[in-house]
Amino acid sequence: MNNYELTLILNPDLSSKFDEFEVKFSKVLSDIGFETKKLENIGRRQLAYSILNHNKGHYAIYQLEGPAAGAIELETKLKYDTSVIRHLMLKVDTLSLEDSLLMIESREAKKAPEEIKVTPPKAKVTPEIKPKEDSVEEPKTKETE
Amino acid sequence: MSQDTKKNFNYKNTDLLKRYITETGKIIPARVSNVTASEQRKLTKSIKIARFLALLPYTDSHR
Repeated sequence: MNNYELTLILNPDLSSKFDEFEVKFSKVLSDIGFETKKLENIGRRQLAYSILNHNKGHYAIYQLEGPAAGAIELETKLKYDTSVIRHLMLKVDTLSLEDSLLMIESREAKKAPEEIKVTPPKAKVTPEIKPKEDSVEEPKTKETE
Repeated sequence: MSQDTKKNFNYKNTDLLKRYITETGKIIPARVSNVTASEQRKLTKSIKIARFLALLPYTDSHR
């Protein structure tokens, strides 16, 4: 038995149907002898770059335990699942059963939706006022306009 | 570096990882950021995973 961490990016159009997907997918998992230790439904999130012409994706992180043979089977299943636009399965030593930072982030975003609407979508472009970081120093002076 | 706590480099910790990439998306070398060699190995690995999962950009010129 191995521990796996599976991250899925689902088609954002099916975001509202996540429960259906979850039911179907948990059946797939149990069929191949996998046990879900934790499921984090992170929700829709802006992608850093477009995947298959999607700019948003529905993220979900599974903490799984199961046999290695099942992992290979699961990989092929995910590959041909059209609702999954990207997936990554990592073998991990210990499963992290606490909430991940992505989960905490999305929960906070839901709590304060007004703030997000106010801030422009391209927050990255704002001039670098780095939050008091001791370690990072920019070496080259890049087009500082 | 005066910090004795190990940095939690993980692909899900995007806010931390963002500090170690340039505006163009490149990974900042360890000699610049003063990250220890073992931490830098973890850092690059997690940045590359985060890029694959579209949590971080590969470049600033994604279409």
